[in-house]
Amino acid sequence: MARRDHLGGWILSLGLTSESQSYDERAPACRLVPASKFTVAALTDAYNRSRVDYIVPMPMNVARLQAYIDTYDVDLTRSVVAMDGDDILGLAMLGTRPGHTWITRLGVLPVKRRSGAGEAMMSYLIEQSRDAGADHVMLEVIKDNEPAHRLFRKLGFVETRELLILRRPPGPPLTEVPAYSVVHGDREQALALLARRRSQPSWLDEVDSLRHSEDLQCLEAACDGAGRGWLVYEQTVFQLGRLIVQAEEGDPAEVARVLAHALHTAHAIQDTKTENFPASDPHLTGLQAMRYFESFRRIEMRLAL
Amino acid sequence: MTRILIMEDDAHQSRLMRRLLEHAGYDVLVAPDGESGLRTAMSAMPDLILLDMGLPDLDGQTVAGLIKGSTLLSKIPLVAVTAWPQDFAAEMATAYGCDGYLSKPISARDFARQIGEFLVAEEAADDEA
Repeated sequence: MARRDHLGGWILSLGLTSESQSYDERAPACRLVPASKFTVAALTDAYNRSRVDYIVPMPMNVARLQAYIDTYDVDLTRSVVAMDGDDILGLAMLGTRPGHTWITRLGVLPVKRRSGAGEAMMSYLIEQSRDAGADHVMLEVIKDNEPAHRLFRKLGFVETRELLILRRPPGPPLTEVPAYSVVHGDREQALALLARRRSQPSWLDEVDSLRHSEDLQCLEAACDGAGRGWLVYEQTVFQLGRLIVQAEEGDPAEVARVLAHALHTAHAIQDTKTENFPASDPHLTGLQAMRYFESFRRIEMRLAL
Repeated sequence: MTRILIMEDDAHQSRLMRRLLEHAGYDVLVAPDGESGLRTAMSAMPDLILLDMGLPDLDGQTVAGLIKGSTLLSKIPLVAVTAWPQDFAAEMATAYGCDGYLSKPISARDFARQIGEFLVAEEAADDEA
């Protein structure tokens, strides 16, 4: 049950089951306020405070959170902050695109956990997704974050696959590959290649995310015997990332090895971090052979509406 | 005087580290994010960098990679300071060329001594090289 308060927030009563009723008895009602009522600075602060004890805290500054909001089509009017009086308990954001939505940045301050705020915010975002006309909701949870994983299962989300966060320290390739030819391309050529992608993207690397980047580049490589393929990536001052790899001919792992060799020969001094690379992707072993390693792992989950 | 640069966004943590190190006689500089940390490192050329691996602008691995990939800074001993599980911290610190790592929360009793021992070991390794 929920009703609107005078500030445009929602007062939630969580007493739908005997279990959630007990939350009501322990904790004050949680007021849900659209995130658009807050400054990005306030949201950044709340986000960072909700993650201080995470295995991988990934703090953000205001500029980084704003870029995140823009890149991933986060709709702050449909995102939510949970309040107890004037205190922020937590926040959760909703990315919206035609047909589907994506829940992200869900976090509750450590001292406010087990109050039902996380579940209340999730239920709110699921309702917002229905209201936006989505037919499914996606999210990712860091593997081994059992409390969050349990909550998502309880709400009906099902696992779809495991996604890797891959890192590669700076440095040129250290292993040899067969001789190859390479052609480097710009952002427009990168977007054209993405139209040919066969792999299933996650929200982070859907074309709708990638087209927000002005720093996309690509390369195509071919070598006798090993096949040919292409690689789309983002190059910022300090980092390479957002790798999309596709073999067009030949063994995907071997083609990925050649593509990574070409990439890190051209950009030897940069660190590389690429998120949500599918654990079952056939190109993965080729990247691992070129010094990519798993930093951590997420589980992608889906809720049909 | 030995100069130590702390790159740490958590003001409470950096205050604590600064106090402990200054009390032990070190000259301490603090940078709250990766970009200002890199700038400070290049201008002040510290004898040691303590790097929080969870910075808000650039993550710790990226900063470590930039330091160890820089002709100017690569010789400065770099210690990762992180709340990551020990195995993960060791793997990341090694992969990104850190010379050591310290687990958070730091021990107020042992911190300055740990840093002192690390600097002595680094100096000895330099002498041997």
